Formats: sequence, C-alpha cells, structure tokens
Amino acid sequence: MAWRVGIAAVLVVSLVAGCDSLPGRPRESDRPISPSQVKSFARLYDENCAGCHGAHGRFGAAYELADATYQALVDDATLKRIISNGIAGTAMPAFAQTAGGYLTTAQIAILVDGMRQRWKTGRPLVDAPPYAGPDGDPGRGARTFAQSCAPCHGPKGEGGEKAPGSITDPSYLALVSDQSLRTLIIAGRSDLGHPDWRGYPPGQPLSAEQVADVVAWLAARRQHFQGAVYARNR
Amino acid sequence: MNEAAKPLSRPALAQPSRRAFLLRLGLLFNAIAAILFAIPVLGYLMSPMRRYAWVSWISLGKIEDFPEHQTRLAIYRNPYTKPWDGKTANIPCWVRRESGAIFRVFAINCTHLGCPVRWFQESGLFMCPCHGGVFYSDGARASGPPPRGLYQYSHKLENGQLWIKAGQLPTLGEPLA
Amino acid sequence: MLVEAGAWLDHRLGVGASIREAARHPVPRSSASWWYVFGSCTFAVMVLQFITGMCLATVYAPTADRAWQSLLYLNYNQPLGWFIRALHGWGSNFMIALVCIHLAQVFLFGAYKYPRELTWTAGVVLLLCTLGMAFTGQVLRFDQDAYWGLGIAAAIAGRTPLIGGRVVKIILGGPIIAGDTLSRFFTLHVFVIPAVLIAFVVLHLFLVLKLGINEWPMPGRIVRRETYLAEYHKMVTEDGEPFFPYAAQKDLVAIGLVIAALVVTAAIMGPIGPNGEPDPAIIQTVPRPDFFFLWLFSAFALLPPWTETFLMLTGPVVAIALLFAIPFISGTGEKSFRRRPMSVVLLVMTFMTIGILIYLGTYSPWSPHMEAWSGTPTPVDYVRGRTPLELQGAILIQAKQCRNCHSLGGRGGMRGPALDDTATRLTPNQIVRQILEGGGNMPAYGKNLSPAEVNALVAFLETMHPGDEPPARSSINPAVAPSY
Repeated sequence: MAWRVGIAAVLVVSLVAGCDSLPGRPRESDRPISPSQVKSFARLYDENCAGCHGAHGRFGAAYELADATYQALVDDATLKRIISNGIAGTAMPAFAQTAGGYLTTAQIAILVDGMRQRWKTGRPLVDAPPYAGPDGDPGRGARTFAQSCAPCHGPKGEGGEKAPGSITDPSYLALVSDQSLRTLIIAGRSDLGHPDWRGYPPGQPLSAEQVADVVAWLAARRQHFQGAVYARNR
Repeated sequence: MNEAAKPLSRPALAQPSRRAFLLRLGLLFNAIAAILFAIPVLGYLMSPMRRYAWVSWISLGKIEDFPEHQTRLAIYRNPYTKPWDGKTANIPCWVRRESGAIFRVFAINCTHLGCPVRWFQESGLFMCPCHGGVFYSDGARASGPPPRGLYQYSHKLENGQLWIKAGQLPTLGEPLA
Repeated sequence: MLVEAGAWLDHRLGVGASIREAARHPVPRSSASWWYVFGSCTFAVMVLQFITGMCLATVYAPTADRAWQSLLYLNYNQPLGWFIRALHGWGSNFMIALVCIHLAQVFLFGAYKYPRELTWTAGVVLLLCTLGMAFTGQVLRFDQDAYWGLGIAAAIAGRTPLIGGRVVKIILGGPIIAGDTLSRFFTLHVFVIPAVLIAFVVLHLFLVLKLGINEWPMPGRIVRRETYLAEYHKMVTEDGEPFFPYAAQKDLVAIGLVIAALVVTAAIMGPIGPNGEPDPAIIQTVPRPDFFFLWLFSAFALLPPWTETFLMLTGPVVAIALLFAIPFISGTGEKSFRRRPMSVVLLVMTFMTIGILIYLGTYSPWSPHMEAWSGTPTPVDYVRGRTPLELQGAILIQAKQCRNCHSLGGRGGMRGPALDDTATRLTPNQIVRQILEGGGNMPAYGKNLSPAEVNALVAFLETMHPGDEPPARSSINPAVAPSY
C-alpha cells in the first residue's frame, strides 16, 4: 500500500513540476510592455525607420543608414537631432514626443547607439569633406558638375543611361534639402550604386569646396512653385 | 407555475374568512415591502444616471506648450475619480492650435465606436484603428463609417492656460458640449 | 462502510429514490447517440469554469488600478496561475463552441418542437448567459482590448435615441470607463449571470427529465399536439432503455474526451492575454474583441453607415426574439432535417455568415495598418532603378501614411486598392485628381501635399504597372496599336 502511495505522490509531484515546462507557459518575453518602454533597437528600428530607410538600413526609398561612410560622416548629435525633430521641408518626420512624435528621448538614444554599433564599422574617414560647410559658388559648381557629375547625370542633370531621371527636376529639388544633397554627394548611396566623394571619377576625390559648389549649383536650379503646377499633366 | 398555484389559492381567497383576510394582508405587506426594498436598490444601481455634475473645467497646461499649427496629445486626470481608478482616469485628448488663440480640442474617441484615433502630422489626418474612420486636422470626417466629425471639448484660455470642459466619455447620445 | 453512510444519508434526505429514478428513466433507444452528447459536455465544461473561476477569484484583484497587475501575477508569479488562467480562457472558448454545436444539433433534429418549447427557451437563455459570461469575462481580463471593448459597448449604447447618454452611464457605472465599470462587470460575471445560469440549467435539466430526451427524428414521423405524447410514451416503454448506463456511457466518454482536450489545449496554448496595460493614454493600440464577438466587430465595419445605428440597436433584439420564437413558429410537423430544407439552409447560412465575418475580422481589411507607413519597407524592386523624383515619390508613399491603407508588394493596409498596378488603372491626371480630391472612401489630400509632392507621387505611381501590362491612357486619346 505504502509504495503505491509513494508512486502516486511521485507522479503527482512530477506532473505539477512538469507543468512549468509546458509550451503554454507564458515566457518572460511575452510580457506586455507599453510602447514607450520598448528598449530593443531591432524593434524600434523595424517599427519606426524601416518603412523608408529599408529593412536593414539598405535599399529603402530614403537614405541608406547602414552605410559605413555615412555613419562616419555624421556625429551622434546630428543623428539625434534629425530623428527627434525631423528635417523641415523634407519627408523626414519628427519622432520625439516633444515634437509631436511617439518616441521618448531614451528610445531615440537607443536608435542612435544601435545604428552606430551596427553600421559605423569602417575606419574614420580621411580627408573627406565635412558633414556641413560654408555655401559654395554656383558658377564654379557648374564646372565641377560638368566634369564630375555630367558623365552619369547628363550635361544639364537631365539624366543618363547609368543614372536615369533628372536631378534638376524642380519637383525633386523642392523635396530635398541642401544638406541632403551634400550628404548624398559625399557619402553616396552604395546600395543603389551612387559613388561617394572619392568616385567622381575614381582617383579624383572631390574637395569640400567642390562639393559645396555643386550643391550651390543644384540649389540655384530650384524654382518657386507659383500655385499648383502639376508638371507631368498630359 | 400559475396552473399549479391556482387550485390551492383560489378557494383560500374565495372564502371571506379571517384566514383569507390574513393572506391578502400578507400579500399586500409583501408588495409594499418589495417596493420599499426596490427603491433603494434600484436607486443605488441607477445613481450614475442621476448625477449631472460630472463635467468641470480642467487645465491642460500652459498655452506655450502647444506650438502653432500643430496637434499634440494632452492627458488630463478626469475630475470625477475614485482612488482605485488607477490609470483609467487619465484621459487623453488631441489639442490643435491653429494659430494664436485659436484652439480646437478633440476627444480621443472615434465617433463611430469610440476607439482611440491617432494623429498623423505628416498627412494631417486622424486615423482610427478599428474600422478605418479618418478625420481631417479640423476634426471633420474624411472617410470611413463615422457618422460625424470628432467630438470637441469646449475650451477657454485663462491665466495663460488652456482649459477644457471635460469629465465624461463622449458618445453620440451625449457628445461633448 | 460507504454503503452504510449512504443509507444513513438517504434515510435523512430521502432523495435516493428520485435520483435512481432519474438515472434510470427510459430514453428512446435511438437517442442514445453520439449526437446527443453536446449538452452534457457543455454542462461539464461549465462546471470546470466554475472551479477555475473560483480559483482565479482567490488571486484576481477586481479593481481598475490592480486588475491588470494581478493578471500578470497569475501568469508569471502565482504557481500554476497561468495554467488556471489558460483553463478558464480556453474553457470559455470550448463552452461557446459546445453550446453552438448543441444548439445546431437541437435545431436540426427538431428537438425544440412540441412539447419541448420551454426547454428550447431555457436553452436560449443559457446561450445568452454563456455569451454574457464571455463578454464580461473579456472585460475582467482588464487589458487594452477590454478597455476599448467597453468603449465600443458604450458607443453602441450611446446611439440609443433620447436616453443614450444615461444608458452609457448606467453601463459604465459613472461618466468614464474606470473603477466603477470594472466592478459592475465583475458583479455580473461572478454573481448575477452565474446565478441566472444555474437557475436555468436546473430548469433546462428538469424539463429534459420531465419531457424525455428527444427521439431520433425519422422523416415522415410528424409531430402532432394531439398524439405526440402518447407516441413518445409508447416509444420509450416498448423500445426504450434506461438513461443510465445506456445513454450516459456515451456522455461520459465524450465528457472525458472534451475535458482532456481542454487540458491539453490549455497546456499547449497557454493563457489568453492580457495584452497591454489598460491605460487610455497609450493610444498606440489596435483594439480587437475576442473571436466570439469578432463577427459583430466585422459587421460594424461592413454595414452601410446609414443603417448602422438602426441595426446595432434593433438587430440583437430581433435576433434574440427570433431565437425565442422558433418553437412557437414551427412547433409541430416534421422533425427530420431531411424534410426541413429551409431550416438546414438557414442554419448553414447563419453559421457561414458568422464564420466569414470572424475570418474577415481576424485581418480586418477595413482598418488602416497604423504602423505600416514607418514599419513596412518599400519593396526593394520598387526602389532599384527609379529616378530621383520617383524615389521621392516612394518616400512620400510611406511618409504621408499612404501605406497605412494601400499595400505594395502585398504588404501594408488593405483599406484602399493595392498600388502595384495603379498605372494600369489610372492615367496620371486621374492619379492627381484622386490624390487631391480623394473620394471612394479616400480622404482628400489636397491641403496636405505641395505640388512638388504630388508630382513626385505621380512620378512614382506611373511606374506602377507590371512589366507586361501597358499603362492606362485617357479615353480621349486616339487609340494606338500596342507596341508589344
């Protein structure tokens, strides 16, 4: 009799103990957290950034964030400012709660740190033009453009075989800031085949002045829209 | 039930005797007692319906906290609360500052079925996650099933602060004033 | 010793004989079928719900500020708390499923017909109680879905003409969804509805015993008020079997299987929720009801708005009244489903409608995907080889929240048409018009887009035609022979 009770007791105890390893038991990772408490970079990036900047920071419609050159070019404060307040005049929205977004200061810091950790992999840039600089001269910019950009983008920036589509289209220029043009010229977009400042053509890196000049030349092509002009009406 | 009770009660009531009188008296007393009992019980359960002082003026904070041409989420503590309400008495609302002293304060609840509408500043729209109601930045209905624009709180500017008249969940039956 | 104690008890109580009589009451041989087990199974699951419910009540804190924490405590800290929650949550699902099967079987077998009208009526009350327990139970799982589910209930009640606002306050127990609301639903879930449930279960079972279990319906055997009772009496005396063990053995097997299935399901699937904290200030939430009310949620999205208030308020009343009325509409006549084609069609249509609405509700194509604009990347194929302006358009599709309602590459909202083949349907002019003026359930974006932004969007959308399909052209242009 006693041994039966013993076996039964062992069975019950092992069943109860075994309950804790059943598949239905909630895992700590299933614990609900409020959106402002999310601390995982992957989740924050996937929910807030991936839409425009691409699944892993590449091949998005907007700028390539997973680019070592770009990450080396910008500093933490700039990244933080852009994420927090957006870029006025472009499609980059403000994400900070203080600016009407949904992310806390801590979450923006996690995003900045995460990007740096994952994507700022290269050595520091040597003799690259700085992120920001004084305005250039459109006249000199025209010469630099003809020499360095026109081979792909066409003499007037109207586009060519390697780089289809106009970069002097008034609508395009209305949607990008001078800084985005400058960043693009310096850091390029390696995912879509646009070279960085060293590749116009290879072996003849652009100087800081040249970059500023080209930006100034492009900026001069901007037009002010008078009323609603839908250019492509046909 | 009635059929079972009839043969028993009818002869008893038919007799004009003391027993029948007592039975009638008992029934009468019980009816009166039942009404006396029901009044406080029903009054207790229905009391939320009778109270009208739910709504009062609440400050949403300094006027400068709301930038012009922007819509911001503001959270206020409902004026009527119980100590065990916890966070459920923290009610959010959307504050739109058109310009200068021109404000609009919208309830968070979609006018279709009360789900929380979310503001998207890039497209200037409020969207509802339940059945796809969409509203413009001025609260007007843009698309989807909602029968009207967003509920708006009455508001005033006093002592450099934005005040709204709030205190109850807005519904189609009782939209905010 | 046990026998002695039993005899002692029976001597005092004197119910042994009637229990024995009830257990051995004759049932038609034909009705001791596997089809007749669902009522007993529902009852068994209900008893389990009472047990697990009492267990949960020992830990659950029924106040608005603590309920959610106590659920998490049950899930993570209370030993086996998660298992009891899983049993209770899945038990609720099982019970609803079993009630529906039981109802369908009774309806198909004509068991509600004379003289069992009252049994059916009591059953409808039990169905409503079960659904009431499900809804109030979902409220007691006090999370974001519960909070906003109450908001939906309040919004529906608020549509009542004249007294809408007052009805809302009675339901909520105050002006907002807060502590009083949870307490009201706790009272309903733990005291009021269970009391009604028990009373009507007793009535239901009493009627089953008194009137006898429905015989297996035979085509051509017509129910007549004048003759049915005598026919039934003849059937059970000449061709009957005692309920115990003849019919009860199948019930017992089925109950055992259902309970085992419930325990296994609970062990594998785990507890249901809770999801986020019921803090109304957290507006990044997508409220959805549990599946048994998901079909109503879907219906509210799909009903034409002008019928909505009317149908929300009268629909349930009419549906419930119809359910009650069924035995009084067709109380006699054929019982067999083989001779009642319209009843079968009605039942199948009802279940199919509810099933389809639930399926639609699981992915709610009418709801914007609130995170799609910032969380669902543009398909890489739509990024490669695009001009600078087109790329700006692709960015704007995201940044202007177009993606919340329109999908690209099968991902994104489903409220509006997918944009992958926009250019085959709309000319550039039509795209501009649609964006600026909206229409067809799309908001007008005229005020929120600059001309440059519209140009970029159109440039991108113009590329949205699958390689082998030509872009749309205006009907006023002369037809051109296709170049392919």
